[in-house]
Amino acid sequence: MAGLMAMAKEQKMKMILIAISAMLSGVAIIGQGYLFVLIVDRIFLKGDSFTEIIPYLLWLIVALFARTLFSYLSGRTGIKMATKVKRDLRSALLNKFSRNPMQASLQGQSGQKVSVMMDTVDEIDSYFSNYIPQVIQSTIIPIMLLVVIFMEHAATGFVIIITAPFIPIFMMIIGFNTKDKAEEQLDKMAAFSGKFLDTLQGLTTLKLFGRSAEQKEEIRKSSLDFRDATMVVLKTAFSNSLALEFISMLSIGLVALEVAIRLIIFQDITFFTGFLMLVLAPEFFTKLKDLGSAFHTGRGSMGAAKKLEGELEETADAVVFGEESLSKDGPPLIELQAVMFDYGDDAFVLKNINATIRPNEEIAIVGKTGAGKSTLLHVIAGLVSLSDGEIKINGKKRSTYRGKDWFDQLSYISQDPYLFSGTIAENIAIGRNNDASQKEIEQAADKAGLMELIRSLEQGFDTPIGEAGRGLSGGEKQRVAIARAFLKRPSIILFDEPTTGLDLQTERILQTSIKELAKNSTVITVAHRLHTIQNADQILFLENGELLSTGTHNELLQSVLAYREMVTVQRGGAV
Amino acid sequence: MKDLKMVINVLLVEKKDIILSIICGFIAGITAVALFSASGYLISKAALAPPIYTLMILVASVKMLGIISALSRYGERYYSHRGTFTMLSNLRVSFYEKIEPLAPGIFGKYRSGDLLARIVGDVEALQNFFLRVFYPPIVLLLIFFCTIFFTSFFSFEVALILFVGYLLTTVLVPSYFALRQRKIDRRVRGSRAELSTEVTEFLYGFRDLKIYQQLEGKQKQLSKSSAVYMQEQEQESVHNLFSQATNTFLSLMVTVCVLAIGAYLVVKGELDGIYLAMLVMVSLTVFENTTPMAIFPSHLQDSKLAASRLVSVVRNESAAIKMKKQENFQTDLSPKIEVKNVRFTYPNESRLTLENVSINLESGTKTAIVGPSGSGKSTLLQLMLNLYYVDEGEILLNNTPINDLLKESIWENTNVVLQTNHFFYGTIRDNLKLAKDGLNDYDMQEALAKVDLGHFKLDDSVLEKGENLSGGEKQRLAIARAMLKNAPLWLLDEPTSSVDALTEAEIYQHIFDIASEDTLVLVSHRLTGLEKMDQIIVMDHGKIIETGNFQSLMESKGYFYEMKMIEQNVFLGV
Repeated sequence: MAGLMAMAKEQKMKMILIAISAMLSGVAIIGQGYLFVLIVDRIFLKGDSFTEIIPYLLWLIVALFARTLFSYLSGRTGIKMATKVKRDLRSALLNKFSRNPMQASLQGQSGQKVSVMMDTVDEIDSYFSNYIPQVIQSTIIPIMLLVVIFMEHAATGFVIIITAPFIPIFMMIIGFNTKDKAEEQLDKMAAFSGKFLDTLQGLTTLKLFGRSAEQKEEIRKSSLDFRDATMVVLKTAFSNSLALEFISMLSIGLVALEVAIRLIIFQDITFFTGFLMLVLAPEFFTKLKDLGSAFHTGRGSMGAAKKLEGELEETADAVVFGEESLSKDGPPLIELQAVMFDYGDDAFVLKNINATIRPNEEIAIVGKTGAGKSTLLHVIAGLVSLSDGEIKINGKKRSTYRGKDWFDQLSYISQDPYLFSGTIAENIAIGRNNDASQKEIEQAADKAGLMELIRSLEQGFDTPIGEAGRGLSGGEKQRVAIARAFLKRPSIILFDEPTTGLDLQTERILQTSIKELAKNSTVITVAHRLHTIQNADQILFLENGELLSTGTHNELLQSVLAYREMVTVQRGGAV
Repeated sequence: MKDLKMVINVLLVEKKDIILSIICGFIAGITAVALFSASGYLISKAALAPPIYTLMILVASVKMLGIISALSRYGERYYSHRGTFTMLSNLRVSFYEKIEPLAPGIFGKYRSGDLLARIVGDVEALQNFFLRVFYPPIVLLLIFFCTIFFTSFFSFEVALILFVGYLLTTVLVPSYFALRQRKIDRRVRGSRAELSTEVTEFLYGFRDLKIYQQLEGKQKQLSKSSAVYMQEQEQESVHNLFSQATNTFLSLMVTVCVLAIGAYLVVKGELDGIYLAMLVMVSLTVFENTTPMAIFPSHLQDSKLAASRLVSVVRNESAAIKMKKQENFQTDLSPKIEVKNVRFTYPNESRLTLENVSINLESGTKTAIVGPSGSGKSTLLQLMLNLYYVDEGEILLNNTPINDLLKESIWENTNVVLQTNHFFYGTIRDNLKLAKDGLNDYDMQEALAKVDLGHFKLDDSVLEKGENLSGGEKQRLAIARAMLKNAPLWLLDEPTSSVDALTEAEIYQHIFDIASEDTLVLVSHRLTGLEKMDQIIVMDHGKIIETGNFQSLMESKGYFYEMKMIEQNVFLGV
């Protein structure tokens, strides 16, 4: 809650505006009561004519209008506040994600980040649009009411001041025994509430085993258990409002009694004063009730705020680039010096990697699952920042070069290339900053073996694909990535070699394409194919994030036991 | 509105809670009105210095009314919430009854996978239907009816004003805002969907965006759609606030009218002045009940949407299942399967998934279907299970078209392992027991040992969706479950893709031992261990490319041979 409050305080002007609105609407509420009472008094006791009270009636309308207007204004300001906070939060998150979302995607958390950006931010809304205006109103207005009540008839004020504190006391007495019970219920509720989804998700399995019919009763039972558990918790909340209502009832009753006795027996106050008290006292308690329900909504935002805070606190260092330009004549020399990488939890994914990648070399990164192969590829690509160590390009730190120059030379062909919502042509054109001609796009598509597919489509190159469009198969996606690379003509290719499951056509296209692209570039492959490894100029053999050895296939076979074991086990296991 | 009828039908089952909520709500509301009118009367009476006992009676009744009102408010809350949750329970059950016969075919229609979460969410969303849409207007109507009836004894004019005010604040104004609400709602949803797409692309496509230097542009685009979304949201909130404010102001104005007319009547001598304060109090209090009506349109809208989404899920399908009479599939021997000229396209897709596929599986034979991902091999297996209807051609099981057979009876005779298998919250035993009735612990433990899960205990807990199990463990558990079922037909869809090669070979050995007499179909993208298969079917792009046994396919050096060569070259480094 502290974080949210701080955010609210940043918007001082709006807070002040809400406070002013609250005060003015307080004035209007008092004015309204005053005028109602005045008019009744004039007609009932003073015997005024109707024309005499018309000005009061008009003033009453003004007061009512003011009351509505100012409460509307305060709500509106709250909404504006919420929008600003949400905008700030989203752009803060965006900034953060844009610096380093690769970590999230490497850790498989992209979906979670999407939901933080969409839902969690929206959950903050009610704190500002509801809670804050309500709290400010419920603090200022009751005080104003009390002041007026004290000025007009102090006895009523004392009744209220003495009875109001009983509300929290009463709540505590009722809440005391139920609180532990409520907490006990929360776990149960979580378990029951998942049952329906669990059953629906498993419906295929249940059907195949002929067990679906008997689940009906299970769903009913868990739903009813959920109901009973929820009711225990709700009862506490309801008892709280009951307490509030009882106390306010008692208080208003006492006020009425005192006023009546004064009017009849002591006859030391006027009807006007008495009636005014009777009108203002309920307003006081209504505002307190509002405060209670506001707390309820405020609490909902707290969890979201905590989540956001955690998200924003997470450190993420951007990859640093400089201003120098990087020569574009052929592939550069890449040197990795004592490269370390971790996800910020000191469990190193890469430890002390040293390697030299000369221009035009074919490099194979080899190792068991989880050895850090893909991470190394991302590190080389400059998509994640190092924890320690240095990557040098042509003898100088990479951080001295312009980011644009570096990425201009790079293509990354992953096992699962991403398609953006747009046409096929647009998805290929992204390979060269969208400035390729239609002819160049067609040539690239042809080389990547996409023409057959494109010709078979009614809209050809303009067929929408991606999120909202036509789905492409894994092989077709790979070919789009290849087409992007052909358009770009990079001097460094990072290639995550597919394992199995690709159709033969795509297999062949991948092989010939990489061969052709490799003529003018360095190719660094996370290798899954024996021939890739055999043909590599240099193999980087990783184990548990450490570079165990480098060399050619034959060299490693002879000198490194672990490598030899891995190759033979693999060959043996594969029958 | 038609869709909400289904919800209302389910709702009406809980008559007791509904009636109690309405009664309590009514008593709470009407006693509050009575309470304030009595106190208005009390103070007026007091001003005229009446005998003290009348006052005592009045004060006592005010107190009593207060207590009754507070208690019935509690009762209303209690019964309405209990009713709501009971209704949700009934709704879940009734929805489950409807969707159960349609599964699992229906899930193929919504491949996005969010269908289930949406169903659950929509059912939850309907909890507001009873609480905020269904019964409050009834309560409101009753309270107003009684109040207006009561005031009509004092002044017909005041009663009329209350009636007009009632119409304005609960019917006319809310429906006007509801109309505008719909447009705004649509815009908000549209802009939200857009932002969601942008965010998804930004996070999932980051690598490609960064390397192709599209990141800045994307970021700008994202900020733009985020701004649009928030602007729409803001408009929506302001609109709601405005409708609330309008309603409050109107109801306050009604009270002003009551006061003005009342005053006029008093001056004219047609109304006793002692009642003026009372009538004002009545009007102020009774209209407090209308405040929730301002948010009524948005809740109604939400409920309608949720209901129509739920209904649309089950309605579209129900027509398809009304087929001719179906018979039970009974087989003592291992069945034979014929697939004849089958064409198949997934709903909502233009691409043909299977094109003119024909295969013949003799009784007791072992067949492997292989091919690259996306070749249609899993779809073929699912069609054999009759999970979807073929577009053209037919599939025969022991010479009977499977559409003439009860699906349930086919499944009863089949051991199925799909690519994703569901495990339920509970224990290993709970999840294995699904296989067949009357299994004892010994059988189960033995099956676990066969799939190399001997270290599992039957009492070990399984979390929802088996999320505490690794991919390989889940696959092996699913195989154990299939083994326990021990039916004469095996349909296995890449059952061991996450299991290492050595364990895989062992498990296959066990399966072949158990299934020695049975008909077995294995979909696999690995080409290992296929030497013993009677028949290997090679698929690509929805067509059958080659058929034969391992030896003949290797000798003909076609597609299978090439795939095998690539696989031998694959160095997974497991």
